[in-house]
Amino acid sequence: MDYTQLNSTQRQEMFDAIGIQSIDELFDVIPTEIRCEDELDLMPALSELELQRAMAEMASHNHGAHDMPCFMGCGAYDHFYPALIDQLISRGEFLTSYTPYQAEASQGSLQAFFEFQTQIARLAGLDIANASLYDGATAVAEAALLSTNTTRRNEVLVASTMHPEYIAVLRTVLSDVHIKITMLDATDGCIAPETVEAAMSDNVAGVIVQSPNIWGQIEDWDACFAEAHKTPKTAGIAVFNPIACALLKTPGECGADIAVGEGQPLGNALNLGGPYLGLLAAKESFTRKMPGRLVGMTTDEEGRRAFCLTLQTREQHIRGAKATSNVCTNQGLMAMRATMFMTTFGSEGMCEMASQCWHKAHYLAGEILKLDGWKLTYDGEFFNEFTVECPCDVTKVVDFCKVRGFLPGVAAAGRRMQGLSKGNELIIAVTEKRTKSEMDGLVALLKEVSL
Amino acid sequence: MTTLEAVKKQSRGCKPTEPLIFEKHVEHIIGVDLPPLDVPETKVPSVFAGGCKTLPSFGQHDVMAHYTHLSDRNFSVDGNFYPLGSCTMKHNPRVNEWGAALPGFACLHPLQDEDTIQGALRLLYETRTMLEEIAGLHEVSLQPAAGAHGEFTALKVIRAYFSDHGQPERTVVLAADTAHGTNPASCTMCGASVQIVRTVDGQTDLEHLKEVIEGVGAENIAAFMITNPSTAGLFDAHIKEIADIVHAAGAKLYLDGANMNALLGRVRPGDFGADAMHYNTHKTFSTPHGGGGPGSGPIAVTEELAPYLPVPQVMMADDGSFYLDRDREKTIGKVRSFIGQFGVLVRCWAYISACGPNGLRNVSDTAVLNANYIAAKLCSRYSMPFFDPKNGKFCAHEFVTVPQDLLDKGVTLIDIAKRMIDYGVHPPTMHWPIHDCLMVEPTETESKAALDSFIDVMLQIADEISSEIELILKSPLESDIARADEVTAARKPIITFK
Repeated sequence: MDYTQLNSTQRQEMFDAIGIQSIDELFDVIPTEIRCEDELDLMPALSELELQRAMAEMASHNHGAHDMPCFMGCGAYDHFYPALIDQLISRGEFLTSYTPYQAEASQGSLQAFFEFQTQIARLAGLDIANASLYDGATAVAEAALLSTNTTRRNEVLVASTMHPEYIAVLRTVLSDVHIKITMLDATDGCIAPETVEAAMSDNVAGVIVQSPNIWGQIEDWDACFAEAHKTPKTAGIAVFNPIACALLKTPGECGADIAVGEGQPLGNALNLGGPYLGLLAAKESFTRKMPGRLVGMTTDEEGRRAFCLTLQTREQHIRGAKATSNVCTNQGLMAMRATMFMTTFGSEGMCEMASQCWHKAHYLAGEILKLDGWKLTYDGEFFNEFTVECPCDVTKVVDFCKVRGFLPGVAAAGRRMQGLSKGNELIIAVTEKRTKSEMDGLVALLKEVSL
Repeated sequence: MTTLEAVKKQSRGCKPTEPLIFEKHVEHIIGVDLPPLDVPETKVPSVFAGGCKTLPSFGQHDVMAHYTHLSDRNFSVDGNFYPLGSCTMKHNPRVNEWGAALPGFACLHPLQDEDTIQGALRLLYETRTMLEEIAGLHEVSLQPAAGAHGEFTALKVIRAYFSDHGQPERTVVLAADTAHGTNPASCTMCGASVQIVRTVDGQTDLEHLKEVIEGVGAENIAAFMITNPSTAGLFDAHIKEIADIVHAAGAKLYLDGANMNALLGRVRPGDFGADAMHYNTHKTFSTPHGGGGPGSGPIAVTEELAPYLPVPQVMMADDGSFYLDRDREKTIGKVRSFIGQFGVLVRCWAYISACGPNGLRNVSDTAVLNANYIAAKLCSRYSMPFFDPKNGKFCAHEFVTVPQDLLDKGVTLIDIAKRMIDYGVHPPTMHWPIHDCLMVEPTETESKAALDSFIDVMLQIADEISSEIELILKSPLESDIARADEVTAARKPIITFK
């Protein structure tokens, strides 16, 4: 079904109104030689019932967090979210509306995004936030550009412990705009402040450090950003996990000027990697250089509280080539999910969730350490994710667990992780969803595979 | 003032204003619970302890009420006629939502082994091949997250191609003066400079195109970005000549695919000489706009550009299994994390599969028919610079009106647009691509009754401008708020609640 709704009588009435005999006349302007002579080579149309069957069939060939305990993380986490999110988000008023350019017809979306911006700013411990970007990786790239645009410098320092996909995207984005990326090498899985100090110069626009980092280690943001700030105007750019911010020091508390992150953990499904949402928060001084949409609070002509998109002169549809970013469509519905999630839990609920992640991850790490030959790769503190050295081939571990119905974590080796390692590290994430029995089950499998 | 009085003061009409979540916070009440912790606790070292303690919460029923009330303060495709030009606000089939929410799609981790996600990879592969066929181009990448991201990605691909072919100096991109703002902004993101090509009567000015090429120097030009049908809602009759001129300069023709809803099954961009293009699945292929996203912006390119596409690429192996190719030697690299907007692409697959080849063609035929029908019914009252059916000048899937006669009576375009809100119609795109215009795109999924009702609304507004101009100037009268003060919002921005 193509979802059109005109019968042949109606079509004829419309032809008459226009003054045409056939639909083809409307396409006469297209030169004959470039028109399609044959119909497109696609499968014939499916009815809705066939469509449901076909999709259910394809979905049945997938296994994931719905039928296996999932200990995979690295930027996408199997967190719990309340059923009300799916119900509310499917309201057509949210689902099928456009970007809220017409304030008078969009107060619902606008108020929700304003609340989202405030929640994200508070979570990051900063002053302002935008209404979302595509994902964590592109948010990092936008933050880098924000720092170079505001300082007119052309170098960023980047922690090598950041998610390798974020580094890869940053390289792509910065490759043709003459901005130099200087990688900061890790010491014991983290960035040492001395490393930042050694790399600093007057040309550095921003210092980008992710915490927890790709290995799950909590970085010393305070010290790294303190080094950055020894050079005036250099921005400390924190790449953060929004769940961790309910329990651990926020980017703002650690001296960050800009904070970006992947918002998926806030009420969004794993979705094989998308759609997710990029989070971007910053100090107030960045307001007029922010990329993406911003909702502002104002009044209407009769004095009521009202909301509208604001500072649009930063954006591509007004400013064209001089816009702060080319981003147009963002991740509105994902931001809506995130704000519903944060409203449902509040700080108290999110702190409980984050605490459970902490306790469970530390329990599991402790149990794995009791196994012969298994050890933690790094000694530093971690939140909900940690790295272990497998005493055998990591691929063997992953395959063995997979056959037994477990997703044990992410192997650091291989192309999937952009060549992060050649070793046998396994990065294990534990959310509040993992039960003690699932964790004990995983430990038993790890014991068995390494015997 | 009592609570009731306060609410009434803030409300317009019968719908109460919704307080902000920050004003509704109830200490120690949250909307959902978690199971008790089932492992021993580990102390958080004080050096790390901290965190945000200021996110408000309240009970579950009030969470539902909050968002239900907010949803009530929104226009939507479901509830309103939504003729936003260039945005293709068509019906969003719910079977697509049903499919995307299946646990076998929604609960997949992006770093899982390929043997555990064969169904998902098959869906991606089929989406890829369907989009290649519709474009008439060699290869599609599903990576870009939205249309502008697709532009960025394709321009990177084109630049990489030229660098690889010893022509790194090709850094100038041409764009029409009616181009989407994203076109020049994407060029900037790619380190390319933009030169504007004039349009005449909504069509590319071929002579000016040649002049610009000569002025810039053919050897410096990477691409010409064109939207076809143009943003003025017209098929460019000279598209083949344009392609020839661009190719003769050694440059590539880039199609901004925002208006693909007029071309499906009628013309394939590859057949008129496009070398690269992006789709907007949230326009053409019915994936919901979601109040501003998510979108998805797959790009299609010719065989010579294909080696530079971003990674990963979904492939089919000889044995019929599917895998992700992450090792393309000449790739521009990664443009986003993981493997694209998968959940959006599920909906895209479902839509194309539901339509089939004949259905897709009927989509475009009907979209074009609906636009021409409205234009024909309104052109006597709303002047249309490019529409003259008696002389065979039709519009594509959208049309532009510059209602000068009405504006001369003392109203602005904004006044007309805001009055539409009173009639439950979302205002069309305004002041773009030309000054003082409304751009109307009805899409193919509207019924004749809906089209007729919209026509009546527009004629009524034209009448009101003559007879009751005050109504127009004060509009919208029926909406949740009167006109928002956007000037103060920009002058003294309040981005967060304090």
